[in-house]
Amino acid sequence: MTNHWIDVKNADVILVMGGNPASNHPISMKWIMKAREKGAKLIVVDPRFTQTAAKADIYAQIRSGTDIAFLGGMIKYIIDNNLYFKEYVINYTDAPFIVKEDFKMPGELDGLYSGYDEKTRKYDKATWSFQMDENGLPKRDNSLKDPRSVFQLLKKHYSRYTIDKVSEVTGTPKEKLLQVYKTYASTGKPNRVGTELYAMGWTQHTVGTQNIRAMSIIQLLLGNIGMAGGGINALRGESNVQGATDYGVLFHILTGYNPTPSASLVDLKSYIEKFTPKTKETRSVNWWSNRPKYITSYLKAIYGSKATEENDYCYSYLPKLDDGMNASWLNLFDNMYKGKFEGFFAWGQNPACSSANANKVRKALAKLKWMVNVNLWENETSTFWKGPEMNPKDIETEVFMLPCSASMEKEGSISNSGRLAQWRYKAVEPYGQSLPDAEIMNELYYRVKRLYQKEGGKFPDPIINLTWDYGEKDKDGKVKHLDIHAVAKEINGYYLEDVYDKKVDPPKLIGKKGELINGFPNLQADGTTSCGNWLYCGSYAHVDGKIVNKMAKRGKDDPTGLGLFPNWAWSWPLNRRVIYNRASVDPKGNPWDPNRAIIKWNPTKINPATNKPGMWEGDIPDGPAPPLADEKAGKLPFIMKPLGVASLFGAGLADGPFPEHYEPLECPLQENPFSKKQRINPTIKLFYSKEGGLQEDIFLSCDVRFPYVCSTYRVTEHWQTGVMTRHTPWLLELQPQLFVEISKELAAEKNIKTGDKVIVSSARGKVWAIANVTDRLKPFKVMNSTIHQVGLPYHYGWKFPVDGSGGDTANLLTPTVGDPNTMIPESKAFMVNIEKA
Amino acid sequence: MAEMVRKASAFEIFNHWVLAISCLLLALSGYGFLFKLEGITALFGGANAMKDIHNYLGIVFTLSLFLSIFNWLKDALSFDSDDIKWIACAGGYLSKHPKVPPMGKLNTGQKLYYLALLAFGIAIAISGFVIWLMPGQRNYIILSHLVHNISFVVLMIAVPVHIYLATIANPGTFRIMVYGTVPYKWAAKRHPKWIQELSHGK
Amino acid sequence: MGRKALLISPELCIGCRACQVACKSWQQLPADKTKNTGSYENPGDLTPNLYNKIRFVEVPSQENPVRWLFVSQRCMHCDDAGCMKICPAPGALYKTKEGIVAFNKDKCIGCKLCVAGCPFDVPRYDEKGKISKCNLCEDRVAENMIPACAKTCPTGSIKYGDWDEMVASSKKAGYEKLYGQMDLGGLGVLYAFKDTPKLYGLNERPQIPESIVFWHNVLKPLAYIGLGGVVAASALHYLLIGPHKEEEEV
Repeated sequence: MTNHWIDVKNADVILVMGGNPASNHPISMKWIMKAREKGAKLIVVDPRFTQTAAKADIYAQIRSGTDIAFLGGMIKYIIDNNLYFKEYVINYTDAPFIVKEDFKMPGELDGLYSGYDEKTRKYDKATWSFQMDENGLPKRDNSLKDPRSVFQLLKKHYSRYTIDKVSEVTGTPKEKLLQVYKTYASTGKPNRVGTELYAMGWTQHTVGTQNIRAMSIIQLLLGNIGMAGGGINALRGESNVQGATDYGVLFHILTGYNPTPSASLVDLKSYIEKFTPKTKETRSVNWWSNRPKYITSYLKAIYGSKATEENDYCYSYLPKLDDGMNASWLNLFDNMYKGKFEGFFAWGQNPACSSANANKVRKALAKLKWMVNVNLWENETSTFWKGPEMNPKDIETEVFMLPCSASMEKEGSISNSGRLAQWRYKAVEPYGQSLPDAEIMNELYYRVKRLYQKEGGKFPDPIINLTWDYGEKDKDGKVKHLDIHAVAKEINGYYLEDVYDKKVDPPKLIGKKGELINGFPNLQADGTTSCGNWLYCGSYAHVDGKIVNKMAKRGKDDPTGLGLFPNWAWSWPLNRRVIYNRASVDPKGNPWDPNRAIIKWNPTKINPATNKPGMWEGDIPDGPAPPLADEKAGKLPFIMKPLGVASLFGAGLADGPFPEHYEPLECPLQENPFSKKQRINPTIKLFYSKEGGLQEDIFLSCDVRFPYVCSTYRVTEHWQTGVMTRHTPWLLELQPQLFVEISKELAAEKNIKTGDKVIVSSARGKVWAIANVTDRLKPFKVMNSTIHQVGLPYHYGWKFPVDGSGGDTANLLTPTVGDPNTMIPESKAFMVNIEKA
Repeated sequence: MAEMVRKASAFEIFNHWVLAISCLLLALSGYGFLFKLEGITALFGGANAMKDIHNYLGIVFTLSLFLSIFNWLKDALSFDSDDIKWIACAGGYLSKHPKVPPMGKLNTGQKLYYLALLAFGIAIAISGFVIWLMPGQRNYIILSHLVHNISFVVLMIAVPVHIYLATIANPGTFRIMVYGTVPYKWAAKRHPKWIQELSHGK
Repeated sequence: MGRKALLISPELCIGCRACQVACKSWQQLPADKTKNTGSYENPGDLTPNLYNKIRFVEVPSQENPVRWLFVSQRCMHCDDAGCMKICPAPGALYKTKEGIVAFNKDKCIGCKLCVAGCPFDVPRYDEKGKISKCNLCEDRVAENMIPACAKTCPTGSIKYGDWDEMVASSKKAGYEKLYGQMDLGGLGVLYAFKDTPKLYGLNERPQIPESIVFWHNVLKPLAYIGLGGVVAASALHYLLIGPHKEEEEV
């Protein structure tokens, strides 16, 4: 989230698209309803009439997988009707920048951008860049009239997204489209703000990243980023998913979104060179220019005194990806299926149910020598060998179960969607012999390290030299009980020496050796500071000589009245509650909307840090620099971008600088109505094609055998694959069985009655489900034909309830295909058939 | 010793007391329920026990009421013009020196009392069984509850009158339900038609 | 301390059913074994182990494919409570000072008459034949905590507070009259409906069955006036007219 949960109450218009907060984030509805009480309008765009839709002022039904068409139409509407926030767009985005002449768009190249290579299914992005002036800055036209300006190209690109075309593709009636566009575009005025809430309904598509990009463009055009009540807000699917990504659980990032090094980056210098952006824009903060400090402090945190300037701070110890290697989920299991792994830790997960194309995953698990299941319960993954269509005799995978503790059985922090890190306490002792995850890691680490010490091995140093000062050690050097506070402090980071600010004369002491650092601006690139995750620097810090765990703060004061609650827990970065908040003020530092002043420049107030007049009030600003209008020190608001402005032109993405509508891998149409040649996203990795690939990964688009669009989703009562919730009888009582929602029209065609058992099948598998025949789904009119959509949750599994009454996972149906940027599987739009069982 | 005539058989006497005692206990527990009287529930060993006693006594009462048909119904159904006269002078109970029309084995009041007892007894029994055995059947329960209570009110008025008239209000009557016999003279006076019948029968 | 009430605003209810689970959690009620019967609503009705249930109602709509309504169904804690009226067991049903219609399983005799007395079809009976229904977390309320359902409701669709305050605040919010405000002496569970209560499965005018009212108002008094009257009349007769003696007859 750019903003935070409570902030939703500050919005004038709330667009829920790609999510269903009433079912899956019920608490967020508290703030949505509060906004509505004050007159805000709630718009819900969804293939199903959801529980959220039940509360909406405007509901628009959309065919799964056509969000870009829907949003592209909105971009066109905003530009055509001059509803964008001109001052914001000119000052704070790249709209005036002039793009290279040879850059071509899908309208010109029948669905492709310039630079496409059919063989590699990748773009050469050389043309996706700006024309530079003599100072090395992009050429610009502040009138936005230059035909090669980002703004004009944007206009041209979306001129193809006419209301008729969009309606034909999405299946949304024209008047509904206009109603949504008009209502949402009303937030382009300085005193009106709109927010967008999305979840997996946007991400789990082969155009997932571009779905969000399209909305980002809208939010920037309307000047809604950085504003209280604005932003683009991902509703995270789990209480601590934000924490998981912050801490580098994904293959391509270390902690704090520092990229995972690849093999060709042989030393720290080349790593830093590659990943530290440079800019000629003097007014840009270019925050990632701090990369050397963050990566060095990270290495100091994990390798301590072993990391020295001489040995490149142990950079060589970091695991490296092969160049161009993608080790994401689908590829991982593809490799497992192909027998490329010996072992697998399924830690707090249930891929046999949660993974797209779960049949393939179940078969892949059988290729393993061993598997460790760290979980609260035995699940479908650990018992895959006795699951459906498995013959235990043929399976040699040895499975170990390590019971771990539930969240209420241990202490620690979680980071929610609003980037708020909250400290939580242990409520009850761990059940039976279960241990908190960290204790399990401590045991594992000790044993692995001892093995390396005893037996050597190929490269023992990265393991042997890890810092592991997490509590009192026994005589063998093993940490007896892992102190989670010690971990939190290591993440925050320490001054390893007395650190001085050498820019002033005489040098001023910043921090004393051994103290906890109180914020990432104080991190150093010379090995004098350590920090496990720069984003969390300052979360557990020395304040006025005392150690304060800021994540445990529980202050209920709200000085701005905007629900920032700055003393309740702590949010990264630096307890900032709304990021890019410098975009909420005009270049002089006055809020665009004085009634929603998230920050405000007070030119007369004395800043205690500098002893000079002029300081920000309100939320922690995105950097202390004076407003943009200050000629000497003024800074642009989008501090993470090298040019200091937000990107309407997203050249960093794999599939194009502007989102373009492509059909899902499996869709009911033979052609993409926007470009005949490119039905699907040209940059997605195809695991299966007519020429080859695994039969397991088969997909069938526009095939009479599988005529209905299908989407998976979640219900309030269950969580993920339901391992925790299926074992909670109170929740199972509420949603006991897999069900499929179908329209009355389709039910009549198929002679299905509500409550009937039906078989839902795709090219890859089938499941039984109980039919819920309802008006909440309606057939679509798409390209002059009638398209039916069905949907089912994926929470069930054969293992529990033990009588099999719950059913199995809907992921037996979903395809093996991912978004080209993130590789998130496309489980929100694929084709199925449905028959009475 | 005066000449005696048998007015009630041993079985009749026995059944009368079964009916009477069950009726009184049912009434007592009924009042306990009706007004939630903890004093009365305590007598029965608590509300739960009282419910069971009330229910099972209901069976006793019903059986007894059924058997009473053989004892009294035939007599209770024989009406003639004297009965109208009897009603006209209210059985003579409103006068210190009553002049009462000649009666058969049962006088008009006794006949009417029995018929009322039978009718409302059946009503209270059936409704009681419905409440007991068809719990949760809302419409039946609502109707039965009403019938049960109307019958209860009627019986709670009728039974005391019966007790009064059969004891101190008519000395010599109570012994019928103890010994079964009455003096011939007394019977000839009170139930002349019955005595006549008896002599004809001889 | 005055009467308390739950204020239920279906407009704010999102059907998350956290209240249903919170209720079971606080009351330690076991789960019922259920099946999906073609709807989200489950279990289909109140059970002895389900004191509070969210009804999911689909209603035709002009603007949208459907209207989907959610509403909490449970004991209404009537001021003039039919169940208490008809209940024959001393102490089985009682009213707390907050106006909660609470129950004591030990004193319940399992006669199920309350089922007949309730205008809302609420009382259920557990496997031991004892009454089972919402008691508005009587124990929490006694400790100045709010009922579990209201505590857990994320949107404020279930609120708990002073009865008068609930009525007044709703009036301010534009609800001229709450459902239950005037019925049965005022319900302890008030509903802020924008539509007819029928849509939500509730009677327009909830009433205790007339026969029970008649019984309570007429028959009950008659049962002791009648008995007392007859006994008194007999005594009077005995004194004034005296027994019917043979020798006195002419």
